[in-house]
Amino acid sequence: MKIAPVEPGTVGPCPVAPDALQGIKRQQTNAARWNGAGWQDFVAALRASGVDLAEGAAACGRYATDAGGTAYGLPHGVVIARDAGQISLLLKAAQAHRVPVTVRGGGLTTEGESVAFGGVLLDMSGMSRVLQIDAQALTVRTEAGIYWHSLAEELRRENLDYLSAPLNLTSSVGGTLGVGGIDVNSARLGCSADQALSLQVVTPTGDIVECSDSENQELFQRVILGYGQFGIITEATLRVRPYTPLSMHYYYYSSLRTAIEDLQMLDRNDASDYSGILTIMDCAVNLLVAFDSDEREAAFRKNWESRLRGHGEFGFALCMLGHYALRPWKFREALYLLQRKRQVFPEFRRPEYMREGKMHDRTVVFSRAVWKHWGSRQMVIPDLATSAGKFIEAVERGNAVCREYFVHYTLYCVGIKLRPDHQPHYEMSCVPPDAEGWAYGCEFEPMIEGGVYSRDHFQAFKNAIYDIGIDLGASYYRFGGMMKGYIRRVFGDALVDRHLAMKRRADPAMILNRDVIF
Amino acid sequence: MPAFLARAPAAPRDYAACSGCGLCLLVCPTWRRSRDPGLMPAALAKALQHGATAAQLAAPIEACSLCGACDPVCPERIDLPGLIMDLRLKLPLPSSALLDDLRARLQQDVAASAASKSAPLLLPGPELRADAALLERVHALLGLVIAEDDGADIALALELGAEIPQHRLQQFLASLRGHSIVAADGLLLRQLRRWLPGSQRMGLGAALSTRAAVRSNLGAADLYVIEARAYHADYERMVAYYDRLQLETGCSLSLDLQRIAIPAVAQGLSQKLGLTAGDDDAQAKWILQGRKPARIVVESLADRAAFERVCDVPVVHLAELGEDPEMMKKDRHAFG
Repeated sequence: MKIAPVEPGTVGPCPVAPDALQGIKRQQTNAARWNGAGWQDFVAALRASGVDLAEGAAACGRYATDAGGTAYGLPHGVVIARDAGQISLLLKAAQAHRVPVTVRGGGLTTEGESVAFGGVLLDMSGMSRVLQIDAQALTVRTEAGIYWHSLAEELRRENLDYLSAPLNLTSSVGGTLGVGGIDVNSARLGCSADQALSLQVVTPTGDIVECSDSENQELFQRVILGYGQFGIITEATLRVRPYTPLSMHYYYYSSLRTAIEDLQMLDRNDASDYSGILTIMDCAVNLLVAFDSDEREAAFRKNWESRLRGHGEFGFALCMLGHYALRPWKFREALYLLQRKRQVFPEFRRPEYMREGKMHDRTVVFSRAVWKHWGSRQMVIPDLATSAGKFIEAVERGNAVCREYFVHYTLYCVGIKLRPDHQPHYEMSCVPPDAEGWAYGCEFEPMIEGGVYSRDHFQAFKNAIYDIGIDLGASYYRFGGMMKGYIRRVFGDALVDRHLAMKRRADPAMILNRDVIF
Repeated sequence: MPAFLARAPAAPRDYAACSGCGLCLLVCPTWRRSRDPGLMPAALAKALQHGATAAQLAAPIEACSLCGACDPVCPERIDLPGLIMDLRLKLPLPSSALLDDLRARLQQDVAASAASKSAPLLLPGPELRADAALLERVHALLGLVIAEDDGADIALALELGAEIPQHRLQQFLASLRGHSIVAADGLLLRQLRRWLPGSQRMGLGAALSTRAAVRSNLGAADLYVIEARAYHADYERMVAYYDRLQLETGCSLSLDLQRIAIPAVAQGLSQKLGLTAGDDDAQAKWILQGRKPARIVVESLADRAAFERVCDVPVVHLAELGEDPEMMKKDRHAFG
C-alpha cells in the first residue's frame, strides 16, 4: 500500500497573532472541516478489518464540543476504543486513506483539541479497565482511557491512591499524560505526566510500542506532554502511593502578591504536602495548605506557619468587615463575597468527607466543588505557565486583564516541581524553558454566572492573557487547538520546525490529532 | 406524554442543560458492565440536543437500570432518571407475558386500604409480600399498616415504560394521601416525591435502620448494602443519614468515593422483561472487591440473592437483625 507523502511546506500565517491587540475583535480559529474525501472507501476498509464505526446524529452528536464549549465540530464517524490492536488497525487505515483521527478521553480540553472537525473521533473511554495493581511495588497498570476518578475508586479498595491528577473527576489518564496534569500536590510531586513509568503507545502508523525512560526513550519523551501528536497512549504504568486523608489549612489574604510569595516560600522549603491559591475576588485570596501526615503538619506549625502573612477565617472576616465599613459604596462587592462564601465553604466541609478533623477523598471534594461552583457550559480558562521568578508579574498582569473583561473571576495558582531527568519531556510543553526547580501555573477563569458573552469576547480575553505569555517568555497549558496561533510565537520557529519534522516522520499523512498543534 | 407526567412537577432541568461533563459515567452500573459511552445519560442528552429521536436512542434508554446514581452527581441538576422514564414511554414495548399481565392489572380496581386516616403505611412490594415471615418481622419492627394497594403494578409500569391509566394512578394516590409512607420500591418512592409533594416518605431500608433493635446489631464487621434507588431519590438527606449510621455503628457502606450507593443489582429493560440474561453478579462483585466483611446486611431482597450467588459470606436482610423482642417494643413505628 503506497502512502502519498504530505506536501512539504510550513504552517500558514498565524490567524491570531496579527490582530492580537486588546479591544480588537478576533475571529475564531476553529480548524477547517475535513472535506470527507475517500470516507466511504475508508469506512469499508475499516469494517472489513473488523473495526466498528458508528455514524449518524445519535453517535456523533455527543462529541460536538469539548469542555470549553466554544469550538464546535462533528466527526464523520466514531470508534469506541477497545484495545491496542483495534486502534492499530484504525490508524493504519487512516494513514492509507488520509482520514484524520481525533482522540478524545474525557473531553476536558477547552480549545477544541478533542473536537473532531470531520474524520474519525476515537473515544478512548472504552479502554478504561485497571489491569494490575502492585501494592508492594506501588504501581498500577491501567488502560489509558480510564478517568482518574475511576482509577481512584479501584485503588482505594487496596488503600492506595494515585500521586496527582487534575481536580475534575473526568480527565482521562492518557489525555492527562499527553498534556501534563496539575494537582495541588504538584509543587511536591510534579505534574501527573511525571508519574508515568512506562506506556503502551500506538504510533500514528499503527505500530504498538512499549516505551519508558529506558525503552524506546525518544518515543516516551515525545508522547509524554506531546499533545497527542506522536501516538495514542493505550496503557500506562503509573506510580501510586498509600492513601491518606488530609489535614487542611486555609489562609486568607487581601493581596495576591503576598499570597504568591508565601506559596512560593512554602514550596521552596518543602513545608507542605499540598499548596495552592484560589482567589474569590482581588481582595479575597485563599492559600490552601494541606498535609498527608501529622508529622508534616506539626513541622509546618512549628517552623513555617508563623511566617505566613495570611489570616485565619475569623481574622480575615474582621478585616473585611473593617474594609467594607470604610467603603460602604462597595456593598455589592461585599455581598458577592458573602454569597460566595456561603455557597462554596460548606462544600469543603461536608460531614460525610470529614473524620476526626481530616478530609477524606479530597479529589472528590475539590472536584465536585469545581464542577458545582466554577464549571459551566463554557469553560474559558486561559493560563500562564512561568518560571518562579516571573510568576508574580504574570499573575498580576493576568488579573488586570480579567478585571477588564469580566465582573467576577477566579484565579487558581499552583507550583509544579520539575524533574531534571525529564527535561527532554518538557520541550515544547507547558513547562516554560527557563523554569528551574519549579514551574508555576495560573488559570484565569471568568465566572460566567449565566451571563452571555460573545465568542469574540472570550477569544479576545484569551488572547490578551496569552499576549502576556509572549511578553514574558512564558508558556501555556492550553496552547493547542484554537490557541495554536501562539505556538510559533512562544516557542520560536526553530523548535516548532524541529517538532514538525519529527511529526511528519512519525505521521506521514498527518492524520493524528490534526490541528491541535500542527 | 401521559397526563400524569405532564401534571407532575417539572423536572429540575432537562436534557438541553447537559454540558456533557460525563460525571454520570463515573457512577453508572451500565458503564461498568459495557464500557460503552453511547449508553451513558450524557450521551443520551447530547444526542437529543443534536436531534436524535427516542427510537434512535433505544439502546441507552433500554440499557438504563434506573438506579438513579447519576441524578445526584449531575452538576446541571438534570432529572436523568426522569428523562429515561419519559423516553421509555415513547418506545414501543416488546411483547412479553410480563407486560400483558401488567396491563391487565393496571386496568383493575384495587381495594383501598382500610387504614385509619393518618396511620403510617408500608408499601412492601411483591418480593417482601412473597416472604411472609420477613414481612411479619418488618411489620413488627416498624409497626406500620401494610397497604392493601402497594402500587406494585405502578412501580413496574414506571420501570418498563408502560402507560399508567389515569384512574389507576389517582386511585393509588388517593389511598396514600394523608399517610406517612414507607416504601420498599425505591423507584416508586422517587415518583411519590413528585406525585405527593409534602408527604412524609422513607425507604424501607432507612426506616428499618432507624430501629434500635436493628441498629444495635450492626457492627464494624458488617458490610451494609444500601438500596440504591431509595438512597438516590433523596440523596442529600440520605447521605447525611447513612453517614451518621456508619459513625454510630462502625459498619462499612456500599458507597463509592462520591458517596453514591453502588447498586448490587442493575438490570436494563430487556433483563427486567426476561428477554435477555442479566449480569447481576458484576455489581455485587464490585461492591465486594477489596472488602472482607464477616457479614453482609442488605436492605433489598433482590440484593440478598445477588450476594448469595457471589460469595460465601452470610447475607441477612436488615429486618432479620431486629430479633430482640424487648428492643422491638421500643419506638413502635418508623415515624415514631
